[in-house]
Amino acid sequence: MQRLKAVIIKEFFHILRDPASLTIVFLMPVLMVSIYGYSISFDLKSIDAGIIDLSGGDLAGQLIKKFANNQYFRIRSLGLSQSNPIETAERLLKSGELKEVIIIPPDFSRKILHHPPAEIGIVIDGSDSNVANLIHQYNEMVIMNFVSEFQNLKDILTINTSILFNPEVKSTFFFIPGIIAIILLMISALLTSLSISRERESGSIDLIFISPLKSHEIIIGKTIPYIFVALLDGILIFLFARFWFHIPFKGNLLVLLIFSLLYILSGLSLGILISSIAPSQKTAMLATLLITLLPSILLSGFIFSLDSMAPVLRSISYLIPATYFLKIIRGVAVKGAELKYFLVDGLIMIVFSALLITLSSIRFSHSREKSK
Amino acid sequence: MRLFYLIKKEFIEIFRQKELLPLIFIAPIIQIIMLGYVVKTDIKNIPVEIINLTSNKIAARIINRINSTPLFRVKAISDQNKDTVELLKRGQVKAVIIFKDPPRQNPLNYPEIQISLDGIDSNTSLIAAGYFNGIIKKFLLDNLKKAGMHQPAMSKTLIRFNPTLESINYMGPGIVALLLTIISLFFTSISIVREKEQQTMDTLLISRLTPIEIYLGKAIPTSIIGLINMSLGIAAVMIWFRVPVRGNLLYLLLASIIFLSALLAYALLISVITSTQQQALFFAWFTMLTFMLLSGLFTPIENIPPGLRILADINPIRYLIKIIREIFLKGNGIEYFYKELLYLLAIASVTVTVSVINFKRLISK
Amino acid sequence: MPALIEIKDLTKKFGHFTAVNAINFSIRQGEILGFLGPNGAGKTTTIKMINGLLKISSGQVLIKGLDARKNRREIKKITGYMSQKFSLYPLLTSLENIEFFGGISGLSRHNIQKKKEEIQPLIPRPILTQKIVDIPPGMKQKIALFVCLMTDPEIILLDEPTSGVDPEVRRNFWMEIYQLKKSGKTILVSTHNLDEVEYADRIIIIHRGNIILEGEPSELQARQGKDSIEALFKDAIINYDNQLSRTGGAECSD
Repeated sequence: MQRLKAVIIKEFFHILRDPASLTIVFLMPVLMVSIYGYSISFDLKSIDAGIIDLSGGDLAGQLIKKFANNQYFRIRSLGLSQSNPIETAERLLKSGELKEVIIIPPDFSRKILHHPPAEIGIVIDGSDSNVANLIHQYNEMVIMNFVSEFQNLKDILTINTSILFNPEVKSTFFFIPGIIAIILLMISALLTSLSISRERESGSIDLIFISPLKSHEIIIGKTIPYIFVALLDGILIFLFARFWFHIPFKGNLLVLLIFSLLYILSGLSLGILISSIAPSQKTAMLATLLITLLPSILLSGFIFSLDSMAPVLRSISYLIPATYFLKIIRGVAVKGAELKYFLVDGLIMIVFSALLITLSSIRFSHSREKSK
Repeated sequence: MRLFYLIKKEFIEIFRQKELLPLIFIAPIIQIIMLGYVVKTDIKNIPVEIINLTSNKIAARIINRINSTPLFRVKAISDQNKDTVELLKRGQVKAVIIFKDPPRQNPLNYPEIQISLDGIDSNTSLIAAGYFNGIIKKFLLDNLKKAGMHQPAMSKTLIRFNPTLESINYMGPGIVALLLTIISLFFTSISIVREKEQQTMDTLLISRLTPIEIYLGKAIPTSIIGLINMSLGIAAVMIWFRVPVRGNLLYLLLASIIFLSALLAYALLISVITSTQQQALFFAWFTMLTFMLLSGLFTPIENIPPGLRILADINPIRYLIKIIREIFLKGNGIEYFYKELLYLLAIASVTVTVSVINFKRLISK
Repeated sequence: MPALIEIKDLTKKFGHFTAVNAINFSIRQGEILGFLGPNGAGKTTTIKMINGLLKISSGQVLIKGLDARKNRREIKKITGYMSQKFSLYPLLTSLENIEFFGGISGLSRHNIQKKKEEIQPLIPRPILTQKIVDIPPGMKQKIALFVCLMTDPEIILLDEPTSGVDPEVRRNFWMEIYQLKKSGKTILVSTHNLDEVEYADRIIIIHRGNIILEGEPSELQARQGKDSIEALFKDAIINYDNQLSRTGGAECSD
């Protein structure tokens, strides 16, 4: 125990005495949360839409007004008559000036009143399929609204749609927890990924090798100080997300803290495993980047929904700690879910960390044997 | 002439590292195919729970329709009322649809439907709502017609450039751009760091080579490797995922060359302004992540607030992705993206100039 | 003999740590100056300040009367440098290394070809077409020296050129250094092998960034009354450290 304490204290000094890494550890995450928090969003605030009104009637006017009053659309009138509306629309979409063009046919009013349905022509730029899909949904909402005023569809069919936890449907609530997960994983993995290789490069590893410390003591001693650093980091980012971005916090703080700890632990043990294998600091860092960067972004549910993924990809996502943490942080923090729903996820993270720590200890004692 | 020797040396080194070759030429294709499937996933299989509190026949028919569409995956159907909020909190389902007895004055005896969505994943919930409305509307229309009624107006939507809204068509080439970025930055930093370790960088620095020559000596071989990679990647998305190409691929080659010169100028700048390997790699990581996430590939660029717009303006990946979309999906010619090319050129020249001015810093470490 | 290189109050600080502490010495035209000291004494740092690889914290390096900081281009042309690790590309063969370094030093294609022929009698043939990583250290050293001399520099800076090679190879290496001296080159050699001191015209002993002894090997021996250089070296270091602890100068490094 005494020996373990010595290793822990030494590691602490290593962190605190290096101003450059202190800056990186505490300033960079906050910087990243704020930049990404502001910039990464699915919300379409202004869809640039052009309207070609070939009818010019009152009913068309009402429809246009519905679009113009909707906060999602920025409407531009393209005039009352166009010789070839589709061609005009295509030209404007191609140049990227507009995202969609709405064409109201000449017989719009007549058809509504006498020969329903009247068709509203809409041309959407599909080159960003995600955006196009959203535009299409917004269009339908506006048109449904318009339609229901004519024939009281509400009499026939009532659909009450309620969106829970995020009534304004802001993607900030979706992304900020994701950003927190990615940053925490990277910081914790990067922190420990250097800890052994640094000693290897400076040669001080030989002193540790010949010390009476057991291999697992060294590995654990090297991990503990970083738990505090990373947890502090995590709290810093959480506070920032809570008070700067107003991410609601409905759950139990203690539960969140416990799971953050487990998550950090899995990140740190991933780092320490890489460190015990990599021959140099450089290799260690690059390996960490490659292992954590793209998979954590693409396969954890950070951006792409896991439900829609093919089974093979889903099974890969189970190997990524961020997958579990994302589920927990979105559930606990924003929805206020209780601990009991996430016991399995927590257990998996514990097993994950234990496995990696054991592997690193084995790997470490191997290289220790070799150096003798 | 001196440059020729630098480039030749770099290539000999690359091809003598046998373990690197599969990493350069095979791994990217595997990654593209794998990631391609990730980004190909249009939102579907949205897990829902259905609570049916009515014996209404129409409700049963609507549930049938929901069951048969791939857009939703019905996890459970129950006839007991449950706490919706609690169901969504658990996270097993993203939406809960409740069917209730029809309101009294309903002429066609339609059930009352209540759908609750988990709003955290705002995108999915909006789209789920849209899907659901679509299903119901279709159902309603089918029945209105039978009853001799007509909906007063409806939209007829034409989606241009990507009519089936295949996300792979627009994400696939983008993923190729991201891999190109990672591999080239990785390569350049590896080769600079290696030269430092072998102390050959010292020799280069005290030789008569100019900073520009050293930059080009690293940038040209990496760019050639990068371009080969890019071609393989593009071929993979075209052949494997059948992504259509409407424009001229020669433009893409031109754009990629200019893009690489800008990107590698950043790599050089990072190695010049940082003083340790650790700082350099942290910096590179930060730059790479920021450029990737703000590239417009995952989320629209327009959402970046004005104060941070500068980060998008200096982001080379953003321009490449724009150009790729113009070429691939819209089939546009150079007149539609010459501005982006000029921006990339400007970024490259400013960054190289700044690096060259500060080049001594590579020495004074 | 006039001084070709003059070092005045040369200092290098890394943060709070002073690696080289205001040292003064000169190198005369056509001499071999031995630069001695234990590992971490400041030998490599000094050499790197002379050839411009490290920024000078304070003080001056004059080469042929030119300030090294301001006339890098001129000085590059007349100095050759061989680093501790030989700085050859491990994945390239000997001949490819020669071609590369010749190429970037601006030798013509014809001259590069000539250099490739000149190396033939010095190195066994199969080794020339092997990768540097696969050949013995003695051969690496030979090739590194050959590369360093390709541009025919007047001043040759050798940073621990004999570390990691066996005594036989070291002797041969020094024979080559003698040949160079005869042809009029000025040579600075750093080493921590004390038995090599006898080859130098003059030696400087550096310790903790300070010069603690300077002179011709025989003269130093006579002055200190020691019979072996080793004893002399050890005494000088112990004396210096004792003095340091007495005055309480606690400039300590890792």
